[in-house]
Amino acid sequence: MDWKKFFIAFVAAFGFIFVFGFLWYGKLMHGVHQEVPLLWRPEAEFGNHFSWLVFGHIVMAFFLTLLCSKFVPAGGPGPCARLGILVALVYVGNDFIMYAVQPITMKILCGWIVGDLIMFGVAGAIIGTIYKSSSSATS
Amino acid sequence: MKRFVIAFIAAFIFIVLWGWFYNGVLLKDVFAEAQSLFRPRDEMMSLFYWIVIGQAGLAFTFVLIYASGFAGGGIATGVRLGIMLELLAVSARCAIYATQPFPAKFLVLTSVGGFIEMIVTGVIVGAIYKPATARAS
Repeated sequence: MDWKKFFIAFVAAFGFIFVFGFLWYGKLMHGVHQEVPLLWRPEAEFGNHFSWLVFGHIVMAFFLTLLCSKFVPAGGPGPCARLGILVALVYVGNDFIMYAVQPITMKILCGWIVGDLIMFGVAGAIIGTIYKSSSSATS
Repeated sequence: MKRFVIAFIAAFIFIVLWGWFYNGVLLKDVFAEAQSLFRPRDEMMSLFYWIVIGQAGLAFTFVLIYASGFAGGGIATGVRLGIMLELLAVSARCAIYATQPFPAKFLVLTSVGGFIEMIVTGVIVGAIYKPATARAS
């Protein structure tokens, strides 16, 4: 494994996931989330737990990169985007379960599903694009 | 295809039973501590089919990912895939913990249950699903 390319792919994936998460879940879906205000931490409390959000995104980007490098060693945006979408489908399964047990609205569920699919699909494509050059160089 | 279906059914049955036992029985009191974050029991039961669809989706996607690129490695590879997918799920739980007022205990216990679930699912899928080329040799 080319660790330099792996690291670059991981950082790029983290950057995308973090920015997309902020825009999609934090900004675009802010109003929809506020339909059930009791579910969320108050602003100040969220600030105190922000490091957990960053840590979660780092772990997410790292293991998505690892999964892509192990699963698609040849790299390439297409196959890695496909793997990203498959990973997103695992999350979609969890979203369905959360909808059943938590009082989230159908709009929130749909927003989460679309967001997961876009986020993991694009993150996979980014990882595959960066990792492709690595495999070409070694093959 | 036959082994794919058998692996999916076995994984799905395990996920349903484990989900019921771990979340519904073992962690019942822990969930009760954060009752305000959950639907009332009757409402939850009326939406139970969403849980079943979600668990079926989880089992199906697991087998699909395994069959698409991990198959042939057997149980060890299934376990490795399970651990990687669970680590991704833990990352999502961290984000949920940051945004929803769950106690930290909840994050830890659901992640422990998640690891057991995904590792055993990996064992089941790795043991049952064999790609055609592996079976032929």
